Amino acid sequence: MASEVLLQAIVAGLLFGMVLSVVALGLTIIFGVMDIVNFAHGEFLMIGMYTGLLVSQYTGADPLFALPVAAVIGGLLGYLCYWLFVRLLLRGPMLAQLLGTFGLMLFLRNLALLLFGSEDRSIQKGILVGKSVVIFGSCVVPSTKLGAAVLAVLAFLGTYLFIEKTKIGKALQATAINPHAARFMGISTDRMNALAWVIGGAGVTVAGGLLVNFWAVNPYVGLLFTMLAFTIVALGGFGSVPGAFFAGLIVGIITEFPGIWDAISLWTGWNWMYKVPMISFKYTWVYLAYFLIMLITPKGLFGWKR
Amino acid sequence: MLLKVDGLIKDFGGLRALDSVSFEVREHELVGLIGPNGAGKTTLFNCISGHVPVTKGKILFDGKDITELPPHQRAKLGLARTFQVYAAQGDLNVLEYTMVGAFLRTNGRTKARDIALETLKELDLLPWKERKVSEIPVPGQKLVTMAVAVATNPKILLLDEVAAGLNPQEIGWVKGIISHIHKDLGITTVLIEHVMALVMDISERVVVLDAGRVIKEGRPQEVVNDPAVIKAYLGESFRLEETR
Amino acid sequence: MEAIRNALDFKDLPRSEVYLSWAVALFLIIFPLLPFSSFAMATMIQFLIFAVYGMGWNTIGGYGGQVDLGKAQYVGIGAYTTTVALIRWDIPFWVSMPLGMAISVLWSFMIGYPLFKLKGHYFAIATIATSLVLKDLFEVWGFVGAARGLHISPVKYPPPDFLRLIFKEDVYYYYLLLGFFFLAVFVMNWFRHSALGYRLRCIKDNEEVAKALGINVHWAKIKTYALATAYVSAMGSVHAMYIKNIEPEDTMSLDISVLIALMAMLGGAGSLWGPIIGAAVLVPMKSYLKEWMGAKMGLIGIDLIIYGFIIMVIAAVEPKGLWGLYERWKGKRSAP
Repeated sequence: MASEVLLQAIVAGLLFGMVLSVVALGLTIIFGVMDIVNFAHGEFLMIGMYTGLLVSQYTGADPLFALPVAAVIGGLLGYLCYWLFVRLLLRGPMLAQLLGTFGLMLFLRNLALLLFGSEDRSIQKGILVGKSVVIFGSCVVPSTKLGAAVLAVLAFLGTYLFIEKTKIGKALQATAINPHAARFMGISTDRMNALAWVIGGAGVTVAGGLLVNFWAVNPYVGLLFTMLAFTIVALGGFGSVPGAFFAGLIVGIITEFPGIWDAISLWTGWNWMYKVPMISFKYTWVYLAYFLIMLITPKGLFGWKR
Repeated sequence: MLLKVDGLIKDFGGLRALDSVSFEVREHELVGLIGPNGAGKTTLFNCISGHVPVTKGKILFDGKDITELPPHQRAKLGLARTFQVYAAQGDLNVLEYTMVGAFLRTNGRTKARDIALETLKELDLLPWKERKVSEIPVPGQKLVTMAVAVATNPKILLLDEVAAGLNPQEIGWVKGIISHIHKDLGITTVLIEHVMALVMDISERVVVLDAGRVIKEGRPQEVVNDPAVIKAYLGESFRLEETR
Repeated sequence: MEAIRNALDFKDLPRSEVYLSWAVALFLIIFPLLPFSSFAMATMIQFLIFAVYGMGWNTIGGYGGQVDLGKAQYVGIGAYTTTVALIRWDIPFWVSMPLGMAISVLWSFMIGYPLFKLKGHYFAIATIATSLVLKDLFEVWGFVGAARGLHISPVKYPPPDFLRLIFKEDVYYYYLLLGFFFLAVFVMNWFRHSALGYRLRCIKDNEEVAKALGINVHWAKIKTYALATAYVSAMGSVHAMYIKNIEPEDTMSLDISVLIALMAMLGGAGSLWGPIIGAAVLVPMKSYLKEWMGAKMGLIGIDLIIYGFIIMVIAAVEPKGLWGLYERWKGKRSAP
């Protein structure tokens, strides 16, 4: 019994973690290329979620078909954000960058509130919705989560290959390692920054399109995911793409800590463990994890820069 | 003996930046520290001031082992320095900045202000006192940092290329200021300098560093005629000639 | 006493600024006598509260350049300490406020020590993380009302109660807050002139240089953080007595932390008047936008859309804030 609960929690954590690593992917690329932290990252995700929801609602198509639409919207949004806004922020001190992107977050969040209202909305029908799969003998997984996780891994792999194998991806890496040297090699920093925002924006809206299959969307959904993404990026090493993947899995498991706690309490049979309202602390562990990671290993597990 | 560096080794990863460096500075001396680029001069200063930890060796200051002390405690003992690469960004003006140095010896604002004004007057920088440090050109900022260091009332002052980027006339002016600090204020001074006209003129003793080792130590005239020193500078011999 | 002399010494400011601040002080003193609406009064109270929050933030964030986005946790500790003390043990405000400050400062030392090993973005995000951890804890802690929060019943404590700070009319709170506000300005002026204030500005400029000048950088930051914390916690206590209804979501959310930082940044971080100017612009703008566009026009969220947009514009165009804009204008005017 205990082992089944544990398996259930770990599998759920890993699947969620796969989606989370795509959420964090854009943040880590943007941070790596230009050392800027985007507070509006979760709001980009929210836009991706609404895109998935609305496309499937109005066209009647499966929400998964909304992914390319989400990618285009996200990429465009990232591009516009960079050219119209972030480029100006880069001239200022760090404080202005942080608050500037926070302003963007308020702007996008409340725009969604104005357009869509504050209530939770979720996808009602689709190929995967309402079905579930049994894996490892006894572990019941909703098909939406499994499908989203598989697609997330594909999206992540695609981006990773783009960065590692193509010429333009290598130029992006060069800019991240040393913008001055890259400029001498004829790589335009401005264009690379814009590219980072396009990839970052597209990546996170795709993640939103995947997430909306099993997670209700409302205008306030962003902050939680921004914090999750920050933690993943810190754990994986600011700027590290492979790091983001493994860190995503770890953070996914951390979010399932209440399930693991249940498994331990079943196993030990200790009464006091049942009484702890662990489910209320679902994300507290993530914030604590960020704090501890930064203190113990500031470079993260797969530190790439610095 | 005011400062004694004994068998100092500093490794950066696999690179040995300082290799068993030993030298001494006596009280009231003015020592020049020269050497080609990359010889490890600034690293040596960083080790002495505590900004980088040493790999091996000992640093004694005023008879005390300071090898493990953090930088701010070394400063309290009377060790002051300037930085080779420094560009102010804040909104402190020259007087306020000098007061930060003076606050090492007092907590009172009036007293710190008096010390700072006195220091600026001694160093001939009083006309700048209301200017923001970040608005002064970088060579000028180095003179300001010198004043701030002097305001901490140090026993020893480590100057890292304070004359870089100055024209000959300004170099003459800086030369005057450094001798004034050394002779009249009685502060022992160690000077890293590429401008030979300056360092050879005012140093009482010169230490030559090359590839992380001390290759020669002596009076300025002895040093420039030493074959090992000339060899070390060979690639840059034009610089010796040019800047003299 | 030099500390008191420093607190009262405004001689280093241009004379025009001193005159102007006298005029503003006079206006603030006679404001309740003027025929303004109760809405304006409530807005002014918010202004005073946030100006003091902003001044607290400005010590570590403005003068020290350490971007702290976790100030809401100290609003929370201050607010909860006075409220819990009142509801559970009937301890009067004037005892529980210093108690709250003490708890806040203690907590700030505990988390400040590890926090200040971090720099830049890493520090900023870590401050958010600590604040959210505390908020999560308060949301499940039954003793402090969990997610429902706590409510102070005015029936139980008949106003006006000067000991417990329960009033019916806003004007009492106004003058009380004005007293705190003036005190805060003087403490701020002391800080600006203290050795710590100078040291912190040097740290903001360059930490390596600061170390070489004998400054214990880590300790100086922790001390200043504690001072900032004391400001915020004290105001959090008053804030709780004023709104009489506290819950973790309102008092300890990230929005409050950022709003506090924003006050100082919009006005001009690292200047004496910056946070006050910032609060004077942002607070009325926020409440009137909400009143006119949100409530009257029925467009939910439009106030925050405009508000967010203005923040974006300021961050992009003049990162030194309104004060920077003024100084630039002054510099242009005085230039030959």
